Amino acid sequence: MTYEPPVTDYDHIVENCTCAFCGCNCDDLDFLVKDGHVVAVRHACRLGASKVMEDMDQRLLVPMVRNEEGVLEEVDWDTALDTAAKYIAESVRPVFYGWSETSTECMKEGVELGEYIGAVLDNQATICHGPSLQAMQNAGYPIQTLGEVKNRADVIAYSGSNAMNSHPRHLARYAAFPRGYFRQRGRFDRTVITMDPKFSDTAKMSDKWIGFEQNGDYGFYNALRAVLKGKKLQSESVSGIPAEDIYELAAEMEAAEFGVLFFGLGLTHTLGKQRNIDIAIKLVQDLNTNSKWGLTPMRGHFNVNGFNIFMAYETGWAFGVDFCRGYGRYMMGETNTIDLLVRKEPDCFMVIAADPGAHFPNGANQHLANIPVIQIDIHWGPSTELADVVLPGSFISVECGGTSYRMDGVPIWMKKAIDKPETCRDDEWIVRELKERVMKLREEPNVADEYVPNEGLACLLDK
Amino acid sequence: MKTITFDQKKTSSIALEFDELITDNIYSWTEEDFAAYKVPVGNSRFPITDYFDITVEGEAESPAEVKMILNGDCNRVKYIGCKMSAGEVVVNGDADLHVGAEMSGGVVTVFGNVAAHAGREMKGGKLEIMGNTKEFCGASYIGEWRGMSGGEIIIHGNAGKQCGECLVGGKIHVLGDCDILAGIHMTKGTIEIDGNVNRWPGGQMKNGNIVIHGKVGRLLEGFVEQGIVTDPELDGIVYPGRYIEYKGDIALNGKGTLIIDAEKNRDRLSTWIEEDDEYNAIREYRAQ
Repeated sequence: MTYEPPVTDYDHIVENCTCAFCGCNCDDLDFLVKDGHVVAVRHACRLGASKVMEDMDQRLLVPMVRNEEGVLEEVDWDTALDTAAKYIAESVRPVFYGWSETSTECMKEGVELGEYIGAVLDNQATICHGPSLQAMQNAGYPIQTLGEVKNRADVIAYSGSNAMNSHPRHLARYAAFPRGYFRQRGRFDRTVITMDPKFSDTAKMSDKWIGFEQNGDYGFYNALRAVLKGKKLQSESVSGIPAEDIYELAAEMEAAEFGVLFFGLGLTHTLGKQRNIDIAIKLVQDLNTNSKWGLTPMRGHFNVNGFNIFMAYETGWAFGVDFCRGYGRYMMGETNTIDLLVRKEPDCFMVIAADPGAHFPNGANQHLANIPVIQIDIHWGPSTELADVVLPGSFISVECGGTSYRMDGVPIWMKKAIDKPETCRDDEWIVRELKERVMKLREEPNVADEYVPNEGLACLLDK
Repeated sequence: MKTITFDQKKTSSIALEFDELITDNIYSWTEEDFAAYKVPVGNSRFPITDYFDITVEGEAESPAEVKMILNGDCNRVKYIGCKMSAGEVVVNGDADLHVGAEMSGGVVTVFGNVAAHAGREMKGGKLEIMGNTKEFCGASYIGEWRGMSGGEIIIHGNAGKQCGECLVGGKIHVLGDCDILAGIHMTKGTIEIDGNVNRWPGGQMKNGNIVIHGKVGRLLEGFVEQGIVTDPELDGIVYPGRYIEYKGDIALNGKGTLIIDAEKNRDRLSTWIEEDDEYNAIREYRAQ
């Protein structure tokens, strides 16, 4: 790593900005602005700073529509919005995916459009912490705020998460290092435990590393629960961990004054899936018999938690909500985006602030290549290559304000720091325009000849 | 007796939802009624006759007197027999999600493979699947702690993950193999598996019975070995042979019973006495 001298050539500083990278939502950033661009960011980690400073890299600046030759050509906003609205209005199984890198205000417009048209609304949880949300619906959500962690926690456990790489400021700002009200000596007052098959960067700076074998999470947690219940382990080792180490870990966790279990995709996406989280929540419940423990998923995108909280509030389901019958439904394996795409069900796909082209499995992307795809985003990416209509949005927390939810569920207002490019529009405006245009199209009887309003059981009663 | 036959004319990439086309609703329908009916497809409804040729023979006074026959590849037809209380449904082909979900009576037979959530929250009746089934067979709706509570599911092929999740009654019999976490969170009822089990059967089970005639990949620490039992009787049914009995899941003070075939899992025992006894004949019979 080479030395980078501090940036001194700037016009002004915008203080107390919020980072729009990971679920930490660090809200203590200072943006150094010159000629209408952010040239440096203070206090941010490298991931957050690079995202903010390189906002013009491969930036989508004008609306585009794919022509008959298969080439994206620049058009005016009206043409692009009308084309997108026509695709949505004529679709029978539309899916609106993404939402995790946009504001909650934009989601409100999206839910109204989705409910009106009978679409499936889903976000990145379907490929990351979806199993966690399923487990929380079953077993509960013993959560605490990151402020409580900073001020109270003396035992920090990371399970299946390499926070040093994925959430670099998590340890520095909230978990391991900060001096809190009851933890005046910071790191010296805390014990950090990492439970991960890999000796990750987080494990390297931890006091204890529990390196259980791959896919051994469920068995390991089950053994830990048995020990906490006062039972004797029958095997010499469980999931590759010696029984003595499990006894020692259980005693250490039980002795904590305030413990927190942070878990990542390493726990969520191994063999047991949502049952890994289920048993981790039960473990925290067991620990709360004699101690005080909480649990928090390490959410990735800065507002992925916002969509889940918003949807759970609005519809009762956190993600993958299917409005096709006029009311919200959810079922894993049925209303999630990947399952729908692999089954080749959707006939229109709108992607907002996400990149399925980069993240989805091949089978899902193959179907995306065959159906109309509408992209609302700020950067050119693999999804742009699949898109039939491209609508350039704006950068939340830099170019426009909006509400975001931190990984612990605390809502944070992300303020605007600079003006957006003249040809771009706010995500919220774009989705609202689409909603109004789709409603107008559906009111015209000859737009979608095949469309029959959803009558529910009325047709049976009319018989 | 009334027989309603659905002969498939064309398939749909978007799933058709058959939750309204159950014996309880259609036992009095004529061919004209079906011609006027529009089936939910995505956010719209289309005439059922676009997808099926429907013939109606005979008369019925109640749902119990109806037999529905679906001929064709129904792997994009969801909710077949969902919430039915009586009558018979036969699917000559594959079936999609939620076959026999929440049914309280009657018989559903599928002569093919079935997608996930078959027999979800089933309360009674019989669901027989001649092929394989995917995840969450006889399980609960997401967020619910009570899965299948009555009736019987017979799977002639293999079952996917979390078969019998949150089982609170009834019986699931898998004649093939079973994937991970069969009977997780179960509190009552019986799961019998003739084939092998991947790992962790009965995770966090509180009560109920799991009988495994094949080999078990990995057991949880929460199951405590009780020793070898011969011809165990569970809920009035005798399972001939020698089995290793476990109680668990002690991780939550569970009192469930897990019995696994002693010979196929002899590596789990510290001692094993070779016995040339009457059970050899039973093992040979099963091997066929």
